[in-house]
Amino acid sequence: MSRRLRGLRRVSQLFFLAAFVLLFALAAFPLRSPIPVDIFLRGDPLIALSAMVSLRKLIVPLVWYALPVLVLSLFLGRVFCGWICPMGTMIDICERLFRVKGRRPSQAPRWRTAKFYVLIALVVTMLVPAAHRSAAELGLTQTVGLSAVYAMDPIALLTRTFTLAGLPAAQWAVQMTRDTVTSWSYTPVVEEHPTLDRALIPVQTGLSLVARDGPVHFRLSLLAFATFVAVVALGRYARRFWCRNLCPLGALLGLAGKASPVRLAVSAKCTGCMRCVNECKMGAISEDPHQYSGPECIGCYSCIAVCPEKAISVTIGHLDTDRTDELQLDRRRLLSAAGAGLAAVVLPKVGWGAMRTQATEKVLKVSSARLIRPPGALAEEEFVTACVRCGECMKVCQMNALQPAFGEGGLEALGTPIIVPRMGPCIQPCDLCGAVCPTRALEPFTMEEKSHLYLGTASIDRSSCIAWAADRQCLVCDEACSYDAISQKEVEGIPRPVVHEDICVGCGICEWVCPVEPLGAIRVYSSGDRRHWTRAEQRELRQRAEDERQPESDGQLLYPGL
Amino acid sequence: MSKHDMTRRDFIRRALRAGLATCALSGVDGLLGEQAAAAASGPTIAVASRKGPAELVGAAVEAMGGIGKFVKRGARVLIKPNIAWARKPEQAATTNPEVVVEIVRLCKQAGAREVKVTDHSVDGPEALLLRMTGIGPAAQGAGARVSLASSPALYERVNLRGAKVLKSVEALRDLRRADVFINVPIAKVHSATGVTLGCKNLMGTVLDRGAWHRSNLDQCIADYAKELRPNLVVLDATRVLLTNGPKGPGRTEAKGIVVAGTDPLAVDAYGATLLGRQAQQVGHLTRAHDMGVGEIDLERVKVKHV
Repeated sequence: MSRRLRGLRRVSQLFFLAAFVLLFALAAFPLRSPIPVDIFLRGDPLIALSAMVSLRKLIVPLVWYALPVLVLSLFLGRVFCGWICPMGTMIDICERLFRVKGRRPSQAPRWRTAKFYVLIALVVTMLVPAAHRSAAELGLTQTVGLSAVYAMDPIALLTRTFTLAGLPAAQWAVQMTRDTVTSWSYTPVVEEHPTLDRALIPVQTGLSLVARDGPVHFRLSLLAFATFVAVVALGRYARRFWCRNLCPLGALLGLAGKASPVRLAVSAKCTGCMRCVNECKMGAISEDPHQYSGPECIGCYSCIAVCPEKAISVTIGHLDTDRTDELQLDRRRLLSAAGAGLAAVVLPKVGWGAMRTQATEKVLKVSSARLIRPPGALAEEEFVTACVRCGECMKVCQMNALQPAFGEGGLEALGTPIIVPRMGPCIQPCDLCGAVCPTRALEPFTMEEKSHLYLGTASIDRSSCIAWAADRQCLVCDEACSYDAISQKEVEGIPRPVVHEDICVGCGICEWVCPVEPLGAIRVYSSGDRRHWTRAEQRELRQRAEDERQPESDGQLLYPGL
Repeated sequence: MSKHDMTRRDFIRRALRAGLATCALSGVDGLLGEQAAAAASGPTIAVASRKGPAELVGAAVEAMGGIGKFVKRGARVLIKPNIAWARKPEQAATTNPEVVVEIVRLCKQAGAREVKVTDHSVDGPEALLLRMTGIGPAAQGAGARVSLASSPALYERVNLRGAKVLKSVEALRDLRRADVFINVPIAKVHSATGVTLGCKNLMGTVLDRGAWHRSNLDQCIADYAKELRPNLVVLDATRVLLTNGPKGPGRTEAKGIVVAGTDPLAVDAYGATLLGRQAQQVGHLTRAHDMGVGEIDLERVKVKHV
């Protein structure tokens, strides 16, 4: 039985990788999946820990999925890393693909403990009170952290890579093919031969089913891809370099598995041939093959498979096997790690990007005229710490409207989703992003609620609006507005568009359709961002605005040039 | 040199030829632009009322001579409903799916080789739009190929002779490829153009609509309508949008009317009255009329009520 474990493990790895890819693909309209499409992220105990600790609240949907993985680790150690983790599988696959013959990666355990320091630094970022929940709620119980888990969590990292780099590439390839096939169907040859034409139809239909109708573009896609490549490429120095040295999730699960009753036992048949030592992709077996490190073993069972003497077996509860569970952490490094965590909170917070405007509610960042969050987003302080930058919301966004923030919102908001209306609007009949956010940084919302989830406010640049400045017959913004927030006002006999600021929710469709190139003459700014209000308050505002329509308050441009 | 070498600029010639053929077969005037419009007899339109949507279409098309007059066996048919917005059918921002389905069915019945339903939408992604408007699954079920034309690969540049502003435009390739082009607009008021009926609906067959807004919208619509002549217009007024058009949400009214005709302006002129307007007040219709696209004076239009 023991000898078949390696084969089983490989099947498991491929199964979970396939599931990961499939669920990623299923994160699209219409959202039809028997299990949550973000289940890998929800089941990630590090993400759950990060969201709950840094928000100081219990998030039940996260607990349900993360707990089983943690329990699994309590009993079986880091089997998640060896059998389930799609990042681990990607690393294994890439190692096989890019292996250099005759070159043996190092087994030296030099960087081994680094991952524990990474974990400690991340826990510090969750714990340190980085901000008050809101200006109105001062006091230590009302603080939130500024978790940096997004930077190192493997599942978030892989999902992000798939979204920002994989999706646009795949989409581009499919669309190129589809467009080429489409152009064939208009050639004289095909037009004259109906059979050829009919043969092309299923190809076109098939490709259309796979592709979205528009191209997909993301900012930061190169950065996401480079991060992934770096993680994989480290395997050149040591197999599973990332997993053995850097991964904080691996560290967490390793800690959880310290008391695991399932162990490897080496019988007296061992001749000390060192094959297991050299095979172990985690470098978990010491020079003396009888000894191995518990928190390092990912249960891949390759040692069992390569042992010529069949001396290694899986046993339960034999406390006399030579497993060491010590971490051997250095106190000085521990302090450095904590210091690094502290710096990871303080630096973004003291950066100018996090600075607030002087408005009474102080919810707007100076850097964020264009920080338009998706609907359902928590108030900014909570949002930046809850968001793991996995990119699920950007993947699922049908309009390619959601993009990773770069400068908007400062360093603390790097990679968090914002709506970039010129790339795509937040269309009314859609509630997908709220449905796929693993940490509830975007709380679920209904399509009806979108009429009063205030993300920002549109304003018209009258100096470039062709209706205002050039007397053109254009009210495309008014046409497209889903919420009736734009109306026409006759000035000098010509109808011109005006914005109802309390009805406009900042969905950005006006900016998207505006024929003024390249920026659009109507633009959405964060001035109307009312995430810090409850949904009931926002609904009331909308109701009031509906009752007393003021078409004269007509949205002059707030930030010309942006 | 094969005839296929003359692709683009023959767009219009082809359309005219199709129109001529139809006229020859039917004896109905109205497709030859100026001469037809000036004809003393005036164009004929059919107005069907007091029935279910499918029966309305059937009756109106029958009154225009039956589908067989327009769609020959083996013909390629292109149907252009309004699928511009992500709205439900009852919001009357998009063509009633039952109307579209009935036309697809009629074409299939007449022996059409291929029936395509397409639009260049303004709003939202294809999958959502086709589902929300109800047109996607329904028309597919009736045997049509339904898709939204967002890819630039589906367009080709066409020069518009006789145009005043819009000298050339990227138009759907399928317009050239199809033997029969049926325009199926819905009657709505429109913020920029007053009303949106058949002529305005044609805007959904071009790639860059923004250019029209940047130059002169009414004239562009007229220029395009002069060149792109549908073989048949079936105006859906089963439900009309009376306020906050073209997307709504606004006040809708169940009119229970379908208008069919071959003179695009005669149909639009009648459609305008359903929205409480006169064609003479609508910029793009008067401009199209001035260019000889068709008749907007309803006094000179023969209206068959069925």
